[in-house]
Amino acid sequence: MPRSETSVLRRNNVNVTGAGTRAMVFAHGFGCDQAMWQPVARNFERDFRVVLFDYVGHGQSDLGAYSSERYSTLGAYADDVVEIGQTLGLRNAVFVGHSVSAMIGALATLRAPEMFSDLVMVGPSPRYIDDDDGYRGGFSRAQIDELLEFLEDNHLGWSAAMAPAIMGNPGRPELSGRLENSFCNTDPQIARDFARLTFLSDNRDDLELIRVRTLVLQCSQDIIAPVEVGEFTHGRLPNSEYRLLRATGHCPNLSAPEEITTAIREFV
Amino acid sequence: MSEQSPAEDLEDLYETAPCGYLSASPEGKIVKINRTLADWLRRSQDDLVGKPIHDILSIGGRIAVETHLAPLLRIQGYVNEIAVDLLATDGEKIPTIANAAEKRDEDGSHVFTRLTLFKAIDRRNYERGLVHARTQAEIESKAQRESAVVREQFIAVLGHDLRNPMAAIAAGIRLLRNREKFGPQGHHILSEMDNSVARASGLIDDVLDLARGSLGGGLVVDRNSEAPLTPVLEQVIAEIRAIAPENSIEKRIEIDEPIYCDRGRLGQLASNLLSNAVTHGAPDRPIGFEAVSGPGLFTLSVSNEGDPIPEDARTHLFQPFFRGEGRPSRNGLGLGLFIAYEIAKAHDGTLEVDSTDRETRFTFRMPTEDRSFA
Repeated sequence: MPRSETSVLRRNNVNVTGAGTRAMVFAHGFGCDQAMWQPVARNFERDFRVVLFDYVGHGQSDLGAYSSERYSTLGAYADDVVEIGQTLGLRNAVFVGHSVSAMIGALATLRAPEMFSDLVMVGPSPRYIDDDDGYRGGFSRAQIDELLEFLEDNHLGWSAAMAPAIMGNPGRPELSGRLENSFCNTDPQIARDFARLTFLSDNRDDLELIRVRTLVLQCSQDIIAPVEVGEFTHGRLPNSEYRLLRATGHCPNLSAPEEITTAIREFV
Repeated sequence: MSEQSPAEDLEDLYETAPCGYLSASPEGKIVKINRTLADWLRRSQDDLVGKPIHDILSIGGRIAVETHLAPLLRIQGYVNEIAVDLLATDGEKIPTIANAAEKRDEDGSHVFTRLTLFKAIDRRNYERGLVHARTQAEIESKAQRESAVVREQFIAVLGHDLRNPMAAIAAGIRLLRNREKFGPQGHHILSEMDNSVARASGLIDDVLDLARGSLGGGLVVDRNSEAPLTPVLEQVIAEIRAIAPENSIEKRIEIDEPIYCDRGRLGQLASNLLSNAVTHGAPDRPIGFEAVSGPGLFTLSVSNEGDPIPEDARTHLFQPFFRGEGRPSRNGLGLGLFIAYEIAKAHDGTLEVDSTDRETRFTFRMPTEDRSFA
């Protein structure tokens, strides 16, 4: 379905800044929105056309464009990335994806090979669940089920009764202004859908198809994407570099923006 | 206040406060934890210091902390009213509500993260109950909407399909009357059958109107000013007189200007109001019927001298299936006034009732001209 330029840009809350000619697209992972890339993205504004966006259903995207049916695969999110790229006329751009966005970006390079020439994967995991064939994803199926159950109850830590106030009251927008935590808001249903999609996905076979230059940035002590998963990803990619960061945790873009900035700069 | 209050011991306040305190390093290691929280977890404070904060969280909690809370804390410096499940040594989950804030030094570097936790067992049960009730209500209301649509479609189809056999019976009665020879008893039976068919057809029409009205957009009317309304109203009065010969109807019809209306529908409105008057009026007192056009306004009113309508019944009069209490209703379904009201609405008009000890009067008013061009 063809869309007008403004509708795509509004749908995904696309923000373009920076002075460069080559574009660098930053994509957020599960649990947050484009705000998580700010500390890194601002470092590239002098040399790059910096593109930030929210996936549909997240941040300030058009929640009306979301439906569980449409966004039932990571490929649907990759399609949106391609639409954004087409709207902005991107060629040979850099795609920087955090967490599940690393895989969404990989799928986007398969759909539009001219659009991205370089891919930066931050804390990627092609498969979160351990497999009988010896693959270690870091989680058992039972643990992921427990997470999904936890989200049913807690919606990413918001107390359950509070969460529906964010989006369950389209007629009362003032409620959203009263939320204690104003970033990374997600409708509880969408958060559950995205969690299911993220943590049950298996993109191991897609890795071998990726032709673009890729940088795998792996954190130390990341319980979401452990070191052996990063090594596995690097091993399967035909054209990749691997870098183990000093940063710990799953969100180095926030805890160690300088280290991430340096790593990306050296790569591109 | 003769005695001085004992001084508060700040260390004791920290250790045994009625809430849990925890400080973690930027790497997520527990730096300090109070005794209250350690007791909840059934572990010693010494054992906990230096351990990753993940150790005291459920699996779901760990992932939520890594993917959502930690970034949120970095971005805005605090998070409030977060639901967190702690994990005690024996595997028991302890629901808590937490506030967290980053302690930063003068340069703005992250020194550690402070958490304050409150046990929230009952509160979380209550919230779960609320969410469950909401989900349940959504499911039930969806099911009710669906079954209402099915029911109305069923009524519409049934009503429509009943029309043909009714028409066949009416035609059969006409044939018998014209071609066969009957005695006085036989003619009487044929007349009774005619009346029954007319009543049954009227009920079917009412039910179909109701179904159409509920299924979408109210009654459909076809309005124009091309023919006079008076003959239609005269015909309706004649029909009611035939059905209820014991009632007298005093009519006044003075229509001097064209009325922009659906004449069939206004005939139906007049018929419904007259039938209502026959049912509820005093049998020995006349029914009043007035249809008058003034400048720009058409008024039709029907009055009877029956008992006044009770105050609380008046608010429900125009709702479907409403029937007056205490009297056997001869008309059955209680749709007549509802349909009259819908016809009034479809003509940009009003239908009102005024009921006193002296009389009960229904008054319909509508503009005589098409207002859509105004």
